[in-house]
Amino acid sequence: MKRKNSIMGMAFFGPALVLMTLFLFLPMVLTFGFSFTDYFALNPELTRFVGLGNYISIFKDELFVQSFLNTVRFVLIIVPLQCGGALLLAMAIHHGAHCKKYFKVAFFVPVVMSLAVVSTLWMQIYSPEGILNTLLGHLGINAQPFIHSARQALPSIAVMSVWQGVGYQMIIFLGGLQNISPALYEAAEMDHATGWQKFKDITLPELKPLCVFVFITVTIGAFRMLVQPMVMTGGGPDHSTYTIVYDIYETGTVNWEMGLASTMAIVFTVFVVVLTIIQNVLTGGGEKGASTESRSFGFRRKGAGSGRPGSEKEESHADETTKTM
Amino acid sequence: MSFIEFRNICKRYPGAGKNTVDGFNLNIEEKEFIAFVGPSGCGKSTTLRMMAGFEEITGGELYIDGKKVNETAPRDRGIAMVFQNYALYPHMTVEQNIGYGLKNMKVPADEIARKVDWAIRILGLEEYRTRKPRNLSGGQRQRVALGRAIVKNQKVFLMDEPLSNLDAKLRVSMRTEISRLHRELGATTIYVTHDQVEAMTMADRIVIMKDGIVQQVGRPMELYDHPVNRFVAGFIGSPQMNFFRVQVDGGQARFLDGTVITLPKEARERLKGRTGQLVLGIRGEDLKTDAQSVAAQLEGRMHSVIVNTEVMGNENNLYFDFGGTQAVARVSKYEIKEIGDSVEFVFVPSKIHFFDPETGAAV
Amino acid sequence: MRTKQQRLCNRILVAAMLVLSLFFLFPVIWMLANSFKPDGAITADMNSIAAFIPPLPGRGFFANYTAILTSTGFVRYMANTLFYAAVLILLGIVVNGLAGYALAKIPFPFREQWLLVIMMLLIVPTETVITIHFLIIAKAGLLNTVVGYILPMIVNPFNIFLFRQVFVNLPDDVYEAAQLDYCGPVKYFFTMVLPMSKTVVATVSVFTFLNVWNDYLWPSLVFTSSDLLTAQIGLNSITSNDNTTMGQTLAVITLVTIPVIIIYSLFSRQIVEGVTSTGSKEG
Repeated sequence: MKRKNSIMGMAFFGPALVLMTLFLFLPMVLTFGFSFTDYFALNPELTRFVGLGNYISIFKDELFVQSFLNTVRFVLIIVPLQCGGALLLAMAIHHGAHCKKYFKVAFFVPVVMSLAVVSTLWMQIYSPEGILNTLLGHLGINAQPFIHSARQALPSIAVMSVWQGVGYQMIIFLGGLQNISPALYEAAEMDHATGWQKFKDITLPELKPLCVFVFITVTIGAFRMLVQPMVMTGGGPDHSTYTIVYDIYETGTVNWEMGLASTMAIVFTVFVVVLTIIQNVLTGGGEKGASTESRSFGFRRKGAGSGRPGSEKEESHADETTKTM
Repeated sequence: MSFIEFRNICKRYPGAGKNTVDGFNLNIEEKEFIAFVGPSGCGKSTTLRMMAGFEEITGGELYIDGKKVNETAPRDRGIAMVFQNYALYPHMTVEQNIGYGLKNMKVPADEIARKVDWAIRILGLEEYRTRKPRNLSGGQRQRVALGRAIVKNQKVFLMDEPLSNLDAKLRVSMRTEISRLHRELGATTIYVTHDQVEAMTMADRIVIMKDGIVQQVGRPMELYDHPVNRFVAGFIGSPQMNFFRVQVDGGQARFLDGTVITLPKEARERLKGRTGQLVLGIRGEDLKTDAQSVAAQLEGRMHSVIVNTEVMGNENNLYFDFGGTQAVARVSKYEIKEIGDSVEFVFVPSKIHFFDPETGAAV
Repeated sequence: MRTKQQRLCNRILVAAMLVLSLFFLFPVIWMLANSFKPDGAITADMNSIAAFIPPLPGRGFFANYTAILTSTGFVRYMANTLFYAAVLILLGIVVNGLAGYALAKIPFPFREQWLLVIMMLLIVPTETVITIHFLIIAKAGLLNTVVGYILPMIVNPFNIFLFRQVFVNLPDDVYEAAQLDYCGPVKYFFTMVLPMSKTVVATVSVFTFLNVWNDYLWPSLVFTSSDLLTAQIGLNSITSNDNTTMGQTLAVITLVTIPVIIIYSLFSRQIVEGVTSTGSKEG
C-alpha cells in the first residue's frame, strides 16, 4: 500500500517535477552560480570565478544604480496612486446604489488588455499632437512632451500603468468589502458613528490584511516594471525609464553578460522575497491575511502545510455524525 | 472453512500507541446479514474498511471465499459497498452511476442496460433515471448507491452507516427495504451502524465492539437476553438497562440507599453463592409495576415515587429514584402514573442480571 | 430605509463615478472610434467631440481592418497564439492538475515538503529566470520552435497550488466507490476529478489563455521567424513598421484585444474568482 502510494504519487507529480526542475530549480541554481562568475554566453569557455566581484561592480555600475533609482521612482508614483485609487473606487462602487455591474466592468477593462496593447495605445495618446495634448489644449494647457522628455517619460508611463492595473486591486478590495458583515455598520449606526468614523473604525481595520497584501503586491509589481518602457521608450530618453528588470534582461539577452545579469537577478529576487516576508509578518503569518477573499475557493490556508495523510483518518468519516446512543 | 474469516485482524495507525482494532476474530457464513455495532471510534468502520481494502491490515489474516485477501486490491475482493455519504458520481445521471462499474468491467452494453433497468425497477427509481445526484433527495440518493452495489452481482455487500444521513421516518422504511433486498438477493452483508435498533431489526448476527475489541457476537435476542458484560447490556435496548450497585449477602441484596430486598430463587441460583459488591441489572420492561405481577411475588417488593414520565402511547417510561440512582420502568398504557404518585414494583426474577463491578463481566 | 440626505449623496456619488468612468475609458473609446477612420480624419477630428465618435458606416469603414488582415501576417499570428493557448491549456491542466492531485490526495514520500517548495516558488519573480530559460532552450537547439516556446510555460506553481486547494476538499469515498467500480487512479483523475472540479479547471484555463495571449517577453525572445510569432509580438512588428498608419495601429490593437474581451465577458465569474483568490496565494 505504501509502495503503491509512492509509485502513484511520483507518477502524478513526476511530470510537473521534471518541468519544474528544468525550468525553475535549474535556472535558480544556475543564476546563483553564474552570479559569482563572469559568464559570457557567447564565449562560455573563458568563464572565470570572480567571487563577489559582480556584487560589488553592479553597485558601482552607474546604469544599474540609475535603473534602480528609476525603479524606485516608478514604485513611489505607482504604489500610492494604485492602492489608494483601487480602495476609493471599490468603496465608491460598494456604497453607490446603482450601476455596480457597469463600474466593475469599466474599471476592469484595461486589466485584460495586454501590456503591449496598452503601451502601443498610449504611445498614440501621449504623442505630441495626440489626443491628450488636444484635450489639455482645450483646458488652456500647453502641449507636453510626455514620453519624449527625460523628465516626463517616467511619470507618464507610471500613470499609464496605474490606469491599466487599478481595476485588479479594485476587484480584490470589493471582495473584501463584501465580506465585512453589515451588522458591524448597523451596530456603529446605533452608536451614532459618523461616516468617517465608520470608515476609520470598521472598514479600515477589517480591510487591513487585504490592504497590506495589495500594498505589497503592487509594490512588487511596480518593481517588475519592464514591458511598458521597452515598448514605449526603449528605456529612454537618456535611460530615464530604464528599470532593474530591463537591465537584467538587456545585460543577459542582448549583451550576453550572464554573470552580471545573474547577480542583478539574485539581488532583485532577494529584494522581492524580503518584501513578501515583510508582508507575511505584517499580516500575522497570513492567518487572517486572505481569509476574507479565500472563501470562494474553499481554501483552508493553515491546512496547507499540515495535510494529513489520507490513511490517518481514524473512523472520523463514519463516526463523526454519531450522537444518539 | 467459513465464507469470510477474520483471523486475529489488527489495525494500528502509524505513530498510534495502541491498536485501533485489536484481535478481531469472526467467521461469517454465506448469505448471513451481520451488523457491526458500537459507539463512535470503536473500530467498526475501520474493520469494514479493512475488509474492503481501503485500510491496510496491519495484523492478522482475512479470508474471503477461501482466499487470503490481505494484499488484494479492493476491486478484486468481490465486494460491493454502500457509503455513508452515498459517494455518488456527481456529474453522472442515476443510470450512469449504477452502470459505471459494469461499463468498466467491459460488460456488453445491452446487458448493462438490462441490469441497470432491473436495479432501477427494484429500487423504484424509474422517474429519476436521467437525474443527477444533486437533484435527488437523500433517500433517493441512498437507493442509487444501493443500485450501484447490487448490479455488480458481488457476493459480499458492505454497508457503512448507510442510513445515518436520513431522517427518522425514511430510515425505518429504508431498513425494511434493505432487509427485503438481502432476502431477495441473498448476498452476504456486513452492515456497520452505531444504531442498535438498526442492528437488532436487520441482522442475523450482531458483532458489538468497544475500543477496538469485540465484546460479543450473537443473534439479536441472545445479546439482548444474555449480554456477556455490562457494556453490551447497556448498549443494547432502549431505554437503557437499569444498573444498581448492590451488596449481596445471604440471599439478600442491599442497595446504596439502604433498601434491602430478598433475592428471588432464580437470581440466587445464578449467583452460585457469590457474595460482596455486584452490579444488578434489570431492563425497564422487567421491572413490573402492575398489581398482578407485584402480588405474585411475596418477597422483593420495592417502593418509590415517580419523578418523571415519558408518554409515547404504546410504551411509556416511568422514572423514579431508587437504590441511590434513577430507575426506569417500561409500562403499558394501562399503568401510566402521574409525577408524585407512589409506585410499588418488583423485578422479574428470571431477568435479573449480575455484573462484576470491576470487570463488568456478567456473573 | 435610507434617509433623503443619504439618497442625495448616493446620487452625487454615482454621477461622479459615471463621469470618472468616462474619463477612465477615454483611451479605449478613442481607440475603438478611430480604428475605423483614415489618418486624415483622425487628425481632423482630434479637436472636436468627433474624436470619440466612430464615423458613419460606409465605404472604407473597415479599411484599416482589411488592410491589417490582408496585407500583414496578423491572421497568422492570431491563429498561432490561439493554437499555443489551446496546447498550453491542455498540457497545463494535465501536468499541474496531476501534481495538484498528488499533493492533495496521494500520501507519497515528502509530500508536505513538496507542497512547501511549491508555495515558496510562488514568491520568486519569474522575470529573473527568463534569461536562463533562453539559454536552456538555445542549448537544446529549440530556439524559434513551438516546442521551445511551450516547454517552459507548461508548469505553473500557482496553478498546482490552486488545483491542490480544490482537490483536497474532494470526498475520499467517491474515490473508494470508483475503485470498486473498476476505475483506476488515472482514469479516476480524468473522468471524475476534473469533471467534479469544473470551476477550477475553467479558472485555470481562462488565466492560462490570458497569460499566453498577453505574454510579451518570452515569445519575443524565443521566436525570430515571423511564421511562429504570437499576436503581441506580431502587433509590435506591425506597429513599428513605418508604413503602418495610425488608424491601422489602432485597428491592430483593437483586434488583439477582441479575444480577451470575449473571454472576459464569457468567464467574468471565473476571472473575478481567480483575482480574488490571488489574495490567498501568499496572503
